[in-house]
Amino acid sequence: MTTAAAYTWSRDPGSAHVSADGTVTWPAAKLTPGEDDHAALAVAVAIGGSEGVVGVTLGAGDASWALARKATRAIVVSDAPLGDDDAATGAVLAAAARRAGADDVVVVGDSEAHPGVAPAVAGHLGWPIMLGVTSAQRIDGRVHVTRQVAGVEETVAITPPVVLGVTAVSVERSAPGMKEMLAARKRPVEKVTVAELGLEQRAALHPTTTRCPEATRARIFDGDPDRAAADLVAFLRSEGVA
Amino acid sequence: MGNDVWLIVTDPADLAVLPRVQNLGPVTALVIGDRELADLASRAVAAVQWIETADAVPAEAYVAAAAQSAAAATPRVIACSGAPASRAVLGAVAARCSAPLLPAVAGVTSDGAGVVVERTAIQGAVIATYRLTSPVCVVLVPDETAAGSVPEPATVVAAPSAAVAAMQVVSRVATAKASGLADAARVVSVGRGVRSRADLGMVEELAGALDAAVACSMPVADDLGWFPKDRYVGRSGQCIAPRLYVAVGISGAPQHLEGIRGAKVVVAINSDPDAAIFRAADCGVVGDLYEVVPALTAALAAAHR
Ligand SMILES: Cc1cc2nc3c(=O)[nH]c(=O)nc-3n(C[C@H](O)[C@H](O)[C@H](O)COP(=O)(O)OP(=O)(O)OC[C@H]3O[C@@H](n4cnc5c(N)ncnc54)[C@H](O)[C@@H]3O)c2cc1C
Repeated sequence: MTTAAAYTWSRDPGSAHVSADGTVTWPAAKLTPGEDDHAALAVAVAIGGSEGVVGVTLGAGDASWALARKATRAIVVSDAPLGDDDAATGAVLAAAARRAGADDVVVVGDSEAHPGVAPAVAGHLGWPIMLGVTSAQRIDGRVHVTRQVAGVEETVAITPPVVLGVTAVSVERSAPGMKEMLAARKRPVEKVTVAELGLEQRAALHPTTTRCPEATRARIFDGDPDRAAADLVAFLRSEGVA
Repeated sequence: MGNDVWLIVTDPADLAVLPRVQNLGPVTALVIGDRELADLASRAVAAVQWIETADAVPAEAYVAAAAQSAAAATPRVIACSGAPASRAVLGAVAARCSAPLLPAVAGVTSDGAGVVVERTAIQGAVIATYRLTSPVCVVLVPDETAAGSVPEPATVVAAPSAAVAAMQVVSRVATAKASGLADAARVVSVGRGVRSRADLGMVEELAGALDAAVACSMPVADDLGWFPKDRYVGRSGQCIAPRLYVAVGISGAPQHLEGIRGAKVVVAINSDPDAAIFRAADCGVVGDLYEVVPALTAALAAAHR
């Protein structure tokens, strides 16, 4: 049984520069994995099948990132760029997971920025999916996943194959050390192309235009703190909240 | 290609995004859930197809059947909120129809045979526009305007629900703790802008003047340990809907903002005029919290005199 952890690397939105006309530029081309990906990989490792965990990524995704976190091998679709269409990203990751022999569980970070990727991976594999998962364990051949739903912790038992969309509850607490990084270098990485996966090469979807949103709706009270505070209280009272 | 819109409904939150696509034409709701949810949908849209869920079987088990129904109708736009089970259906529809799937969508309009999709990007700093050929799948952001109700409730039609995936709920445990935050009408929340634990007294005085509960951002509970973990607000913590939320020295990270989407009036106090919290706030004071918070407490006391 092969478990896969699919992830993508993208530019950190915090490093974008937005001009007054809404044009977006990227002064620092810093790439990061999705903020939920470390938790997704940890879940994959926790429930990994007999054949271990294969890291699956595309474009600028760094295979060694997964390999340093206990993935036993990795596959990278090197000519598939990451665009804004979550279905296109999901199609490539699903095809790569299939190529890597994933036949059990595919784990994907259920990210706020790309909430359609994990669902599209499942759609393209034709597998069921559970999203918002925070932890999982294997019991008698079934995967028991836990998730938070409106103040309730729900545990669901699922018979694989299944795609799990995992939500991180915090930043990664312990990043791999030098030993893990060195071990990662020895693990195999397969590079494939979109054509080798039998997919049509499509240009990544990007917006035709970007603009700044209408002026912020926040009413700002500034200047002397006492004056600002008095104006704010008057506003809150007019809104009936103070 | 049909001319209509399908809305996937597994949660009332899906109906709250309806105003964002109602301009496109008649909306069919594909409901996966109990009768109550189907009836709720029938009062908001033109047509309802309903897949009834069995006890202890999550809506996700019906994704394949739901996607088949939606794809067969060849709608122009297939939409939902961020509700997990609804997104699960949307991904399956996108795969079946080879349709693009865009998140954080604020509006969809017709453009001849295609559609123009507008979404927020770069953490809300820009609106990005895409011209696409339909069908398109969109995850919509919540809309504050109430969806108009239909004059006559739509007839609820049972949709085929064969091929249920093997998944079963084995336990459900309430976790909403007794922090009192969930029911608080007013909340004052502490961020890392507050420099030391000793300064919390100043914020607590403000909370007292407002008759508000005190909450915090995640690092203030998790890293600094100034509050128990059931007091932090955000995607990993408490999701709250007070009438008033005062963010004191909180930057407004997307994960934090997720927890206050339901708040009525959001006030930000922050020394950085470019802090993301001001984009999510209704009003605020740009200034040093060490000056603004005591001034606000005093102004409230003066107003009550
Ligand atoms: C997977 C994941 C899940 C997460 N979940 C959550 C969550 O549920 N909840 C949550 O809160 N966070 C969460 N986070 C963390 C989140 O990304 C932010 O790091 C966090 O919210 C920042 O907290 P903060 O605003 O208090 O601190 P900072 O981001 O450090 O902001 C401090 C603010 O105080 C202002 N400031 C400083 N001094 C003053 C002064 N004298 N007067 C006025 N203003 C001042 C600064 O301008 C700044 O804007 C999560 C992160 C990840 C990766």
